[in-house]
Amino acid sequence: MTVPAEKLRLGRVGESARRTDAVPKVTGEFAYSSDAYAAGMLWGRTVRSPHAHARIRSIDVSEALAMPGVHAVLTHEDVPGEKRYGLEFRDQPVLAFDRVRYFGEPVVVVAAEHPEQARRAADRVRIEYEPLEPIVDPERATEQEPLHPDRPTMGHGYRDDPRPNVVRSLVIRRGDPDARGDVSVSGVYELGIQDQAFLGPESGLAVPDGEGGVDVYVATQWLHVDRDQVAPCLGLRPEQVRIHLAGVGGAFGGREDLSMQIHGALLALHTNRPVKIVYDRQESFVGHIHRHPAKIWAEHRATRDGKLVCIRVRILLDGGAYASSSTAVTSNAASFACGPYAVENALVESTCVYTNNPPCGAMRGFGAVQSCFAHEAQMDKLAAALRIDPIELRLRNALAPGDSLPTGQRITGTLPVADVIRRCAELPVPEAEELPRDPIRLPGGAGNTTRGEGVRRGVGFAVGFKNIGYSEGFDDYCTARVRLLADGSAEVHCAAAEVGQGVANVILQTARTELDTDDLVLAPATTSSVGSAGSASASRMTWMAAGAVREACRAALAERERTGGEVDVERVYRHPRTTPFDPETGQVTGERAHVAYACAAMRVVAEVDVELGLTRVVWIGTAQDVGRAVNPQAVEGQIEGGTAQGLGLALMEEVQTRGGLITNASFTDYLVPTTLDMPPVESVLVEDPEPDAPYGVKGVGEPPTVVSTAAILSALRDATGRELTRVPVSFDEVVGLD
Amino acid sequence: MELRRPPDAQHAVAALGNGSLALAGGTDLVPLLRDGIVRADTLVHLADAVPRGIDGTRIGAGTTLAELEVDPQVPAALREACAQAASPQLRSMGTIGGNLRQATRCWYWRLRFPCWLHGGEVCHAKAGQHREHAIFGNERCASAHPSDPAAALLALGARVRTDRRELSVAELYRLPTDESRDVVVLAPDELVLELDVPLPDASVYLKAMDRKKWAFPLVGVAAARFGDRVAFGLAGVAPIPWAVDSADDLDRATPLPGTAYKVQIARALIARAFSAL
Ligand SMILES: Cc1cc2nc3c(=O)[nH]c(=O)nc-3n(C[C@H](O)[C@H](O)[C@H](O)COP(=O)(O)OP(=O)(O)OC[C@H]3O[C@@H](n4cnc5c(N)ncnc54)[C@H](O)[C@@H]3O)c2cc1C
Ligand code: SF4
Repeated sequence: MTVPAEKLRLGRVGESARRTDAVPKVTGEFAYSSDAYAAGMLWGRTVRSPHAHARIRSIDVSEALAMPGVHAVLTHEDVPGEKRYGLEFRDQPVLAFDRVRYFGEPVVVVAAEHPEQARRAADRVRIEYEPLEPIVDPERATEQEPLHPDRPTMGHGYRDDPRPNVVRSLVIRRGDPDARGDVSVSGVYELGIQDQAFLGPESGLAVPDGEGGVDVYVATQWLHVDRDQVAPCLGLRPEQVRIHLAGVGGAFGGREDLSMQIHGALLALHTNRPVKIVYDRQESFVGHIHRHPAKIWAEHRATRDGKLVCIRVRILLDGGAYASSSTAVTSNAASFACGPYAVENALVESTCVYTNNPPCGAMRGFGAVQSCFAHEAQMDKLAAALRIDPIELRLRNALAPGDSLPTGQRITGTLPVADVIRRCAELPVPEAEELPRDPIRLPGGAGNTTRGEGVRRGVGFAVGFKNIGYSEGFDDYCTARVRLLADGSAEVHCAAAEVGQGVANVILQTARTELDTDDLVLAPATTSSVGSAGSASASRMTWMAAGAVREACRAALAERERTGGEVDVERVYRHPRTTPFDPETGQVTGERAHVAYACAAMRVVAEVDVELGLTRVVWIGTAQDVGRAVNPQAVEGQIEGGTAQGLGLALMEEVQTRGGLITNASFTDYLVPTTLDMPPVESVLVEDPEPDAPYGVKGVGEPPTVVSTAAILSALRDATGRELTRVPVSFDEVVGLD
Repeated sequence: MELRRPPDAQHAVAALGNGSLALAGGTDLVPLLRDGIVRADTLVHLADAVPRGIDGTRIGAGTTLAELEVDPQVPAALREACAQAASPQLRSMGTIGGNLRQATRCWYWRLRFPCWLHGGEVCHAKAGQHREHAIFGNERCASAHPSDPAAALLALGARVRTDRRELSVAELYRLPTDESRDVVVLAPDELVLELDVPLPDASVYLKAMDRKKWAFPLVGVAAARFGDRVAFGLAGVAPIPWAVDSADDLDRATPLPGTAYKVQIARALIARAFSAL
C-alpha cells in the first residue's frame, strides 16, 4: 500500500517560500551557463589587447588558421553588420579596429575543436600594435586627446560639456549654493575599483539554427537588450536571434553589458557549428565592467543645532574606455550625493570621464555606493564638530515623504528614513566579548596575531538611499504571459533574469497568489516566447515582475471568465513615468526623474588591532525599508549578501591597475571576504508599502551595499580616531597608532 | 610535454635539467606553466622519488602541508605555519618541498613584466605598486618571500638534505644576484629529499594577512625558543625568508614608501611572538 505524500501548499506573496534553485545549487546539480553542451560544438577563444591604448597596425591570422583543429579566426572584417555595439551608446567595437582603448579589449576570436587548440591558435594570431600613451589619471583626462572624438554620449539631452573625454557631467543646483551655516566641515574621499567577483565566469553557447539565425544560451541580466545588440551586429532581424537564459552564477551589474554573445554567435554562424565560450578567471576580470572608482570633494554647512543648510559636492568618476552605463551612474551619484537628508541649498557636480583604465559600468549600488561613503563620513564629521550624537544628527535631518530632494523631486511614495534610523538604533549592540578568545574572534583571524593586544573597539552608523527602477524618462517596462490550460494548470512566461536574487520565486509566488493555485510552472526565460522583462538591475526586478505577472494573471482569469476555454494572454506593466533632468540646473522637468526610493540604516561594531592595522567586523545590525517583503527569507539573504559586498569594498576589494593594466586579475590576488570576515547580520525589515507598486513592494538588493561600506568605515573611524578617507582601507592609515 | 615518473631519487635527478622540471603537488608549478611563465619539455613527477612522511624530527620533502599541520611530532611553529598557508585543497596537494621552492607572488613577475628577476634591468615594483613587497634585501628585487613554513623552518634551525649534500635552511636561501637570479643555492637538477627539524622548547607562528584566512602573509613571524635563546624567522619581508635576532634588527630595514607599514607590523608581531613563547 502506498500513502500519497502530503502536498505542501507552496508559498504565496509575503511568505518565506523555499527557493527552487536552492537545493541544486548547494548539491552541485544546478546547470550554470558554463555547463552548456551541444553535440559537435566548438570552443571559442578571444584574443585580447595586451595594451591599454594602442593603434592596430596589422592583424595576421594565417598562422592561427593553419593550426590543428581550428575552424575559424575572425576579425572586425568578419562582422557582417554593425561594427559597434553598446548597452546605451553604440561605441564599443565588436572586435577592435584601428585602435584598442583598454587592456583586454577583444580583437580576434577563434573557434577550434578543443579549448586548448583554440588557446594555442589564439597565441599564434599576430597583431602588430603601436602603443599609445594611455590616459590613466581621471583628473587630467579632460585635458588630453579625446578617446572618442565622435562624442557618442553627447546630444542625448544631457548637459553639453565641451571638454574632451567627458562621458557625462551633471550639475544639480538648488536654492543658494553659497548659503552659509554656523559650522562647515569638508573632506575628500576616494574609492578604488571594485569587481563584481561573481563566481560563474562569463560563458555561453551559441547554436546556429540552420536558417541563418542563432540561439544563444547565456548568463545575462536582460535577455531582450542582449538580442537588440547582437542582431544588428550580425546583420540579422531581432527574431532571428533568440537569447535564452542559462544558469547565472552571480551578476551584480557585471552582466548588463555583453561579453561572449556576439562573438559566440559570429563564430557559430561562420562555422555552422555550435560554439561555446567560457572565460577563465583572469579573462573574466577584463571581460566585464567594474564599479567606478571615484574621488569626491564634499562640504557640509549646518546651523549650530545641526540643521543642514547647504551641501556642496564634486564627484569625479573614472568610466574607463567605453560608455557602458556610465551616464546613468553619473546621475545616480549626483542624485544621492546629499544623502537621505533634507537640505534647502545644494550644488552637486558629477562628472564621468573616459580613460584607458578598465571600463566601468553597473555594479550593485550604482553610483550611490560612492556617494554614501562620502556623505556619511561628512555626517560623522559634522556630528563631531557640533558635538551632537551622530544618530541624533541624522534624525534631525532625515528626509520624509513630502520633502523635496536637491533635484526638486518631491517624495510622493514612502521613504521612512527616520523610522529605519530609529529601528536600527534600537537594536542592542552586543557587549565586548571576554578575553581570551579563539583567534578567529579577534582581528587577524586565523593568523593568530593577537590575544587582545592593540585591540580597540568602535561603533559606527550610516544611512543611505537609492532609487528603484530606471530613471530620467527611460521607457521601463516588464512583460509577462500567462496560459491557463484546460486541465486547470497554468504556465507563466516572463523573461526576468534569475541571477541568484530570487526573482523566479517572486514570479511563482505572485502567480500562485493571483491564480490561487499551486499547479503552475514558470517557463524558461527566453526572448522567443515573451516580450522584454527589462533588466535584473536597479533593484527593479521584483517590483516589475510582480507587476507584470499580477496583471497578466488577472487578465487571464478575466479572459477565462469570458470565454470559458484555454487562455493565453500577455501584459505589459509600466511603473510611473519619469522625465529627464533639466540639463542646466539638474532639476526635475516633470513630477519625477526617479520612480521611487528605498533607504537603509546600518550599525556596525568593529575591532581594530591598531598596532597591526588588522580589523574585525564584529556585528552588523540593520533596518531596511523594503516596502513589502514578497519573500522575507530571500530579503534577508539579499541584505546579508549585499552587506558582504560592501564589506569587501570597505576592507579588501580593489582591482589594481598600472598604466591601465590590471595587475591582480585572480582570486589569489583580488581578495573577497570569506565567511570568517563576515559577521552575523541582524536585520529588521521595515514594511511601509509603496503606494504605486504591486503589493507595495520595493527593491531590496542595493540599499545594503550602498550603506554597509559607509557604516563599516564609521566604526573603524570610531575605533582608530583616524579619518580613513579611502576605501578599501589601507594599512598605512591604521597601523602603529600607539 | 612529457610526464615521467621515475622510481627513485637517483633516476629523478638524472631526468632533471635540460628543460625538464620537478613536479610535486603541482599547486605552484602548474599555474606557472599554464601562464607561460616557466616552460618545460618534461615534467618529472616526484611521487616515488622523494620521501613522504614524518618520523620524529625527520620530514620527507614529499609530505603535504595538510599532513604536517596535524602531526603532534611537528613543532608548533611549523604546524601553525602550514595550517595558515593557502586553503585546505591546496594544502592537501602542496608538499613542503614544493613550498620551499615556490616562486614569488610579485604580480609584475607573474604578469611577465620584463623585470630584474626575469633577467631585465629594472624592478617594476619599486617604481610602481609594492604594498606587498619587501623591507629587507630589496636593493635589486623587492619581492617578498611568500612561504609561511620556510619562516618557521628558519626560526627552528631546520636542516635540509638534498640528493648531494646537507645544509641549513638559512644556507638554502640567498638573495638573487646579477649572475644568478634565483633565491636558492640548489643546482637545477638538485632535489630536496628530507628536512630535519630540531625540537624547540616552545615555538609559535603569527601571520598578518589581508583577510581572516586564505591569504599570503603580509608579514609572518615564527619564533622558536631553545633554552634561553630565541630565534625568529620572517615571511613576507624580503625576497627570501629572513632571520632576525630581535625587534632591534628592524632598525636596519630598508622599506619602500609603500611597505613602511610592514616594519611596524613586524615589530609588533616579534614582541607578541616573544611573549607567547
Ligand atoms: C592560491 C594559493 C595560495 C597560497 N597561499 C599560500 C600561503 O598563504 N602560504 C604559503 O606558504 N604558501 C601558499 N601557497 C603556496 C603553496 O603552499 C605551494 O604552492 C605549495 O606548497 C607547493 O607545493 P607543491 O608540492 O604543489 O609544489 P609544485 O607546484 O609541484 O612545485 C613547486 C616548485 O618546487 C619544485 N619542487 C617541488 N618539489 C621539489 C623537491 N623535492 N626538490 C626540489 N624542488 C622541488 C618544483 O620544481 C617547482 O619549481 C599558495 C598557493 C596558491 C596557489
Ligand atoms: S620585486 Fe622582483 S619580481 Fe617583482 S618586479 Fe621587482 S624585480 Fe621583478
